[in-house]
Amino acid sequence: MFKDLDPLLHSQLRLAVVSILITAEEADFVYLREKTGSTAGNLSVQIDKLSEAGYIEVDKGYSGKRPKTTCRLTPQGRKAFEDYIEALKSYF
Amino acid sequence: MHRALRVVHNFWDILVYILNLFILTIIIKIMEDKKLTQSESLELITKMIKETKNNLERDGGSIYLLWGYVWLFASLAIYFLLRETGDHRVQWLWFAIPAVGYPSMIYLLKKRDKGAVSFAGRIIGKIWIVTGVAAGLLSLYMFIDYNAFPMLFTMALLINTGVAMSGLIIKFKPIIASGFLGILLSFALLMVSGLNQILIFSLFAVIMLIIPGHILNAASRNIKKA
Repeated sequence: MFKDLDPLLHSQLRLAVVSILITAEEADFVYLREKTGSTAGNLSVQIDKLSEAGYIEVDKGYSGKRPKTTCRLTPQGRKAFEDYIEALKSYF
Repeated sequence: MHRALRVVHNFWDILVYILNLFILTIIIKIMEDKKLTQSESLELITKMIKETKNNLERDGGSIYLLWGYVWLFASLAIYFLLRETGDHRVQWLWFAIPAVGYPSMIYLLKKRDKGAVSFAGRIIGKIWIVTGVAAGLLSLYMFIDYNAFPMLFTMALLINTGVAMSGLIIKFKPIIASGFLGILLSFALLMVSGLNQILIFSLFAVIMLIIPGHILNAASRNIKKA
């Protein structure tokens, strides 16, 4: 019996972001953009979606004089990722 | 004339409508990220986790090399200067290790700020802060009582413990081996005395910092190439 995959995670860029944040406790916007190979605009939209769903926390601060956006996974996001993996297992 | 104006107006409205439609399509395209198949999902998760883990945890070779070379040159300098002059004020040079090491480490850490922190990386950082504070206090106690404890043995044991713990956390065999070998060899410092003790102490820099540092950097370069 196939389980439903969380539509919020079942997309390339959002899943890549959450997978990175599972390993890294926190990552800034530039790091995420480089590792996912996405454009700033697209990444920004997907981060907003994950943040609105409560899967990630976004801190907008400064590193020296430069603005720095830092993302980290929330317990809810971690749980969603674990559920996603469980659901994914049912397909194999 | 009035009719002609209305035609132009209508034409203009249609043009604006088409333009809006075009912009909306682009926005929707951006907002709707690419959907994946199940196997693509699994592949993506594995790739991202593996890359992030390797990228963040196995890239500290330069820090090992910095401390290793500062330690090696300072202890060899002290060894040769003591042997040649016999003047024990040369021992003040031990303080060159933290004096050069800490500012250089802060510079290196700032330079290689990756924009991400892993759990393992954070834990290793904390281990070295605690080890550094303990090593600093041990050194300072020498001002109170120079013969309170065998300084070189205590320092080598402490730092080798830090190396072994770091290796275990990042699961990197060369660092684990160096750390435990270092712990074992630290006891050799209790068996020898005089200048030879300093010579053995300098050897530790090679075993537990310089060799693992180069291996770590090589592993990191291989990961980046792959």
